[in-house]
Amino acid sequence: MKSVLIIEDEAAIRRVLTRVLERAGFIVRTAENGDDALQQLRAAEVDIVITDIIMPKMHGVDAIKRIVKEFSRIRIIAISGGGNFGITDYKPDAITTSAYLAAARKAGAHALLTKPFQTAEVLHAINLATSDTRPH
Amino acid sequence: MVIALHAIVLPVLYYGLSLVVSHSHGDVFIQHVRTLSRNIADELELGDSLESPRRLADVLDLAILNGDGVYAELLDNGHTTRSDLSANNVHWPGRQDYGFTTGGSGIYFIELPISRPGHAAELRLGFDEVPTIEQIHLAMRHTIWALSAYLCVAVAVAVGAGYWMARPVVQLKQIARRIASGDYVQSLRLRTRFRELNELGSDLDNMRNELVGVNERLRAENRERAAAEGRQRQLEIRLRHRQRLETVGTLAGGIAHEFNNVLLPIVLATELAIADAADESAVRLDLEDVLASAYRAKDVVQKILTFSRDAGVPVLEWIDLEPVIHEALRLFGALIPATVDLRTDIAGPCPPVKADAALTIQLIMNICTNAYQALRGGQGVLTISLATRPAPGPGPDGISAWSGDHVVLSIADTGHGMDAGTKERIFEPFFTTREVGVGTGLGLSVVHGIAESFGASIVVDSTPDLGTTFHIFFPAGPKPSAEEPVSQTHEGANT
Repeated sequence: MKSVLIIEDEAAIRRVLTRVLERAGFIVRTAENGDDALQQLRAAEVDIVITDIIMPKMHGVDAIKRIVKEFSRIRIIAISGGGNFGITDYKPDAITTSAYLAAARKAGAHALLTKPFQTAEVLHAINLATSDTRPH
Repeated sequence: MVIALHAIVLPVLYYGLSLVVSHSHGDVFIQHVRTLSRNIADELELGDSLESPRRLADVLDLAILNGDGVYAELLDNGHTTRSDLSANNVHWPGRQDYGFTTGGSGIYFIELPISRPGHAAELRLGFDEVPTIEQIHLAMRHTIWALSAYLCVAVAVAVGAGYWMARPVVQLKQIARRIASGDYVQSLRLRTRFRELNELGSDLDNMRNELVGVNERLRAENRERAAAEGRQRQLEIRLRHRQRLETVGTLAGGIAHEFNNVLLPIVLATELAIADAADESAVRLDLEDVLASAYRAKDVVQKILTFSRDAGVPVLEWIDLEPVIHEALRLFGALIPATVDLRTDIAGPCPPVKADAALTIQLIMNICTNAYQALRGGQGVLTISLATRPAPGPGPDGISAWSGDHVVLSIADTGHGMDAGTKERIFEPFFTTREVGVGTGLGLSVVHGIAESFGASIVVDSTPDLGTTFHIFFPAGPKPSAEEPVSQTHEGANT
């Protein structure tokens, strides 16, 4: 049975995604931010990480880089629909969902998802990520 | 000037001439009568006239007859013999005259002593001065006539010469006045006999040319400045418009992102609940409605993101717009009634443009939908045209110049048109002139976002009651068939 770690600052998303994945047969852990996630990864065996990109404390792209560096066998799925940034921080040319996802891909994510997605899409992304055998 | 000079010179000349004339006539007169008198005196001294009274009378008569004599008498030893020819009213004044007209009597009196032995005689003669005086007056009149004639000729010549000499100067003056009043056309060059005037005219004409040049430059600068100010105003308006769209886009994008985070748990949780609900149960039907609404919300958010250019990186390739237009019209034609006259006007093969075919179809369909909704009673003409606008020329905004060729996709309708205020705002999300519920107000916002992502510009021409035309200016790629279409590789979103 594969284990999944969800890194997401939105509690509602954490809760629902946990239920969806548990029902799909995964062992699910959650983390509110990147630091918490790294600690959990060191303590427990995790196969797949699903991480948001825009989060407080540690940016999702940084989290991906550190996970890739420390746990090379973990498959990573990046999700983004933006969200946790104020209007005043918004820079249309620099920060777009696609730019974030592109950065996540470059940092080592195996699959990408744009919020909102359906159950089938997240399961497909997990399949895609676990079947991606390319090295980091 | 000439007349003033003559007014001084001529009286002096006249006075001098009259002195010369009167003196010369007087001298001739005196010379003549004295010579005559001397001859008579010699006759009396040398002949025997004194001895014979008869001969004496003849000699005295001779004195009168030989000249202008009016008086002749001889005083000999106290005895006076007077010529019978002497004028009656003339009397010896007591002494002889020494100058012409000095006696005041009009008669010149001469007294000559006759020295002959045995006689103490004195010859007294008188000559009429009047004929000589008349001659002098006649000469003076002639002089006056001559001087008057001279004066007339001199004045005429002076006036004529003055006019002749002044004419080019007057001409210069008139042209100079015209120049001063703004008429620079006429040349100041002269063709006269006076080299100095010709040179002056030439110099002035050079100055005129300089003036004309300066004026032209100033006019051109003024025109250029006015045009530049106009362009500046237009650019400012466009900039403000663009900034407003960007602000609205930023705001809309931020809100859309928030909605995505809200929609994700709704979608997933509803799917979980549906899985738990019994088939055909009321709860399941309700949950399916929730899910359908969530998907609709997702679509709206997606459109907003398209406007704010955050709908993912479009797949930009060199594509020919013509088949894309036909595909879009095939789709659109199926949606509208036959009352709409759908026309195309493709001006020959156009260069390819860098665009995403699917998004271009969406762009065309959105504009066409908007155009169709503008048609009154669902009737009218929609014309989709495609043309190449070669460089150089005014840019898409009609203001800035562009450097390369453009392919222009135009969609024109014969609908109700827009006023300036509406035209300003049509690309803003949720801006709509239609009734609430008829449209989302996102169609043209999406068009704007798509065009921006292609690097294309949109220009809207609209006249109330006549219709609206949307022009989309695509930077042109290589000439048709000059290059195989090249796919734009892009990294990232595989969503």
